[in-house]
Amino acid sequence: MQLFAQILVNGILLGGLYGLMALGMGLVWGVLNIVNLAHGALIMLGGYAVYYLYTKGGIDPFAALPIAMVLLFLFGYLLQRFLLNLIVRSAQLNTLLITFGLDVVFVYLAQLLFSADFRTINPPYAGSNIDVGGVTIPYAQLAAFLVAIFLAAILFLFLDRTRTGRAIRATAQNLTAARLYGVNPRRIYALTFGTGAALAGAAGGLYGVVSQITPYIGVTLTAKSFVIAILGGLDKPIGVILGGLLLGIAEAMTALYLDPTFTDIISFGLLVLVLVAKPAQILGRA
Amino acid sequence: MSAPLLEIAGLSAGYGEVPVLSGVGLVIQPGEIVTLVGSNGAGKTTLLRAVSRVIAGRGTLRFDGHDLLTHTPEQVFGLGLVQVPEGRQLFDKMSVEDNLKMGAYRRKDEAGIARSFERVYELFPRMKERRTQIAGSLSGGEQQMCAIARALMAAPKLLAVDEMSLGLAPVVVDQLLAVLAEIRKQGVTVLLVEQDVFAAFTVADRGYVMETGRIVREGAISVLSNDPEVQKAYLGVQ
Repeated sequence: MQLFAQILVNGILLGGLYGLMALGMGLVWGVLNIVNLAHGALIMLGGYAVYYLYTKGGIDPFAALPIAMVLLFLFGYLLQRFLLNLIVRSAQLNTLLITFGLDVVFVYLAQLLFSADFRTINPPYAGSNIDVGGVTIPYAQLAAFLVAIFLAAILFLFLDRTRTGRAIRATAQNLTAARLYGVNPRRIYALTFGTGAALAGAAGGLYGVVSQITPYIGVTLTAKSFVIAILGGLDKPIGVILGGLLLGIAEAMTALYLDPTFTDIISFGLLVLVLVAKPAQILGRA
Repeated sequence: MSAPLLEIAGLSAGYGEVPVLSGVGLVIQPGEIVTLVGSNGAGKTTLLRAVSRVIAGRGTLRFDGHDLLTHTPEQVFGLGLVQVPEGRQLFDKMSVEDNLKMGAYRRKDEAGIARSFERVYELFPRMKERRTQIAGSLSGGEQQMCAIARALMAAPKLLAVDEMSLGLAPVVVDQLLAVLAEIRKQGVTVLLVEQDVFAAFTVADRGYVMETGRIVREGAISVLSNDPEVQKAYLGVQ
């Protein structure tokens, strides 16, 4: 029973981070109709940003997160403004091709610049944990989980309460009417993609604290984000976080009761299931 | 007579190589309700698109002293020419209140926006009751109210309403027409583009009849509604 509780806690802590990874992907997908295959690469870049801010700059990884988010926001904003705006709302295949190409470019640039070595962001408190009724909770994992939930809440409030958030939702729901009432879609798209990239950057930094980063982590994380975003619903941050928790718990349970090598089978099995069960939701967003 | 609010003369416009409008003339004085009627495909919506600069046009196009032909759609909107588009085009998954806030998206005067909210909720008490409801779940008539209310939140000088009556019960149309009369009393000029000629004539001061891209009749409603041709073609009088 204690083992089960421990695994459940591990799954929840991991799942919060998964949810954060998927938030940015779901936002961009829902508003721009772009399935961003380079989303995992943006997570990877966020991981390296926090890694170098910590190792070279001596900045605590959690303090470095906002800096990485600003960097990724600017990167995403410019990427959208000068490249992706050319293909926004065009045929889905175009968006898949161009973001796949970007993914390849980012991965090989990362390999060139950062080498293929495993990197871990290892602050002094990385090994410490608290014990709650026999269940061990590592501080770093707990902090990563709380940051993920916090950012999801901020995103929800931003979309729900602010003028710009309303314009983002309006553009996603009815582009014609949004333009009619003075919304500039190009600006909204760039802001949205920048926000998605910033969330990816935060997720990458946290991923580097609880796991290891290489230039190649993005592919798996893109696929997981894709599954979670669909499970959670693209326009509901809370749903996406719940989707992340579901996947995190499923993976942790698989690792315990079956075999750790099966965990990716769970996420990719879910991917296939989702594609079979909800094709309309994936394709019907033109 | 004061300077017209909207002045269209010799306007030609179309889509690509296909001309739709040829030599259209239409004038709206401040404070008027003017209706543009005609059957489906006559070019009424094309005229609205040309006026709001969504499609290119040639001729004279002046609004409130500005030459619209040198303006972008955003600038035309900024001058106070606001449309209630055909099919309402609400933000379906947003609350009524968020839809109204989107109408005021380009306004910065917080006090003015608050006053507009009060006025709009006075005009449409139903919208106040339903302000937290999702717009897509409203009835057809309420959705049209929401669309008009959203346009009023942009503080228009000229409100151009496209096919307001489409798909609505006559009793609902009557309520909306009464609201248009009330809006005019508050100083907003109205251009009502309608297929339902009978309904449009009950509220308008003057009317224009459009057929295949040309204005074929114009005048006061009292004159138009006694015109045998208009009666035969649009009012079902034998």
